[in-house]
Amino acid sequence: MAKVPTVFFICGNGLGSSLACQMEADDVFSEAGIEVNSDHDSISDAPSLNADIIVSASNFESQFANMQIDPKTKFVYLDNIVDKDEIKAKVLPVVKQIADS
Amino acid sequence: MVVIQWIINNILTQAAILISLIAMLGLILQGKKIGAVISGTLKTLLGFEVLSAGSTIIQQSLAYFAVIFQHGFHTKGIVPSIEAINGQAMNKLGLGNSIALTLLGIFIVNIIIARFTKWKYVFLTGQALLWMATMTVIGGHFAGLKGFPLILMGSIIGGIFAIAMPALAQPIVRKITGSNAIALGHFCTIGYLVEAGVAWLVRDRKVDQHVTNIKERTDSWEHVKLPKSMSFLQDNSLSIMVVMVPLYIITAAFAGPYWSIKAAGGAAGGVNYIIYAFLQAIQFTVGVYVMLSGVRLMLGEIVPAFRGIAMKVVPNSVPALDCPVLFPYSPNAVIIGFITTTIGTVIGMFLSPLVGLAVILPGMTTNFFAGGTAGIFGNAIGGKRGAIVGGIAHGLFITLLPALLVGALSSVGFVNATATDVDTITAALLYLWVIAPAFHAFG
Repeated sequence: MAKVPTVFFICGNGLGSSLACQMEADDVFSEAGIEVNSDHDSISDAPSLNADIIVSASNFESQFANMQIDPKTKFVYLDNIVDKDEIKAKVLPVVKQIADS
Repeated sequence: MVVIQWIINNILTQAAILISLIAMLGLILQGKKIGAVISGTLKTLLGFEVLSAGSTIIQQSLAYFAVIFQHGFHTKGIVPSIEAINGQAMNKLGLGNSIALTLLGIFIVNIIIARFTKWKYVFLTGQALLWMATMTVIGGHFAGLKGFPLILMGSIIGGIFAIAMPALAQPIVRKITGSNAIALGHFCTIGYLVEAGVAWLVRDRKVDQHVTNIKERTDSWEHVKLPKSMSFLQDNSLSIMVVMVPLYIITAAFAGPYWSIKAAGGAAGGVNYIIYAFLQAIQFTVGVYVMLSGVRLMLGEIVPAFRGIAMKVVPNSVPALDCPVLFPYSPNAVIIGFITTTIGTVIGMFLSPLVGLAVILPGMTTNFFAGGTAGIFGNAIGGKRGAIVGGIAHGLFITLLPALLVGALSSVGFVNATATDVDTITAALLYLWVIAPAFHAFG
């Protein structure tokens, strides 16, 4: 565990659903015993974030494709952003990979 | 007594300090470490001040727009913006501390009802609760309430809405998500039910009578290929600019250079009046952007604290979440809902002066988020035709309701803005039409 990954959760306003997703994910991370810097923000701010991982809903995928974002940033798209099982399956492996790097 | 008076004057009436103390309490109750408590409290304080700064920017831009609209079209054009209403209530009317305490009160009432009844919904969309607290306080202020009764009544009414709205939407949300794991916590729910009701009336009765999950529908927009080009409107700042820029420029063109420059305070910095209008439209967007950044900082600590406490106190709680949570389940219906709601709001804008109401300009943020969610409801209940007819009805409904509020809002000093989010408007109308008359009759 060399590194604490920075994970940003993104939605349109950066207020409601991104925070909902972050709260579920924080539970998953602490259950797994992994330390993560997590925060949430709006899609307008996404290009300026210095994130290791960006987590967002699948309907935002096409918009991120149009942005110039740090190529080191990894993206995870969720169909149900508050489903702990989906977060475990999709986000957790990426977080572990960065934490171990 | 002197000490208590000093505390009341300097701390409890300062909304920024009050809301930080609420956040601190939440963080301590969760058993956070001292560092996390301090950083969370300070972030909340910062968030509140950023929110106030944003609302000042919005007000300046709206004050300019009010003048050019008046002289361009010889009528009042009201911008529906819950952010502007919240900002004016906090800054101009000095209701910030009542709003902060009502927000806390709504949390408490929500938890109490969820704990002791079968409705286990915990409303976690912080900004929606903030808007609800704002509107109940404005309603109470209009009814002549002050101090503790104002906050108590706002907390009870807001708390009931925070349970009732997710509960009313849940039968349809279950069809959309296919489970009972999440609920919808967004105070535009009455509008969604209006769309669903109209969609049900106009649905194709030959098909899909007994589907329990929208995936099983044969008559659905999800089977149609739609262009994805509208999806950029999910970016809130962009969607506001897309409307405000043409709106300001066209209005300035109608007002002409004389009134436009006068509205700008006489000089407009030597800039051409159309360019000035363009820059003011951007300023409006800047104001909303700054304000929402403040809301994010402020609620980023309070909402998780509320959730942590609610999950401990309420067994089997169901989180009621912000509307975009539903978007991935039915993305095409979101686009249809946005388009049809916008058509409805434009029709509503032209119709409302004919029945003696103020001109309510279409608000793109609400049209996208509320319209999109309403589209999902319409499609889930009434298929393709239901989504279209229901969407237009939804657009008309969310124009009519804010229009009914304009008179009351201007009588207590609001400038050129009205609320969005129809549930919060319903709460305010409850004060105007039921509580205020009762209060005056018996008080």
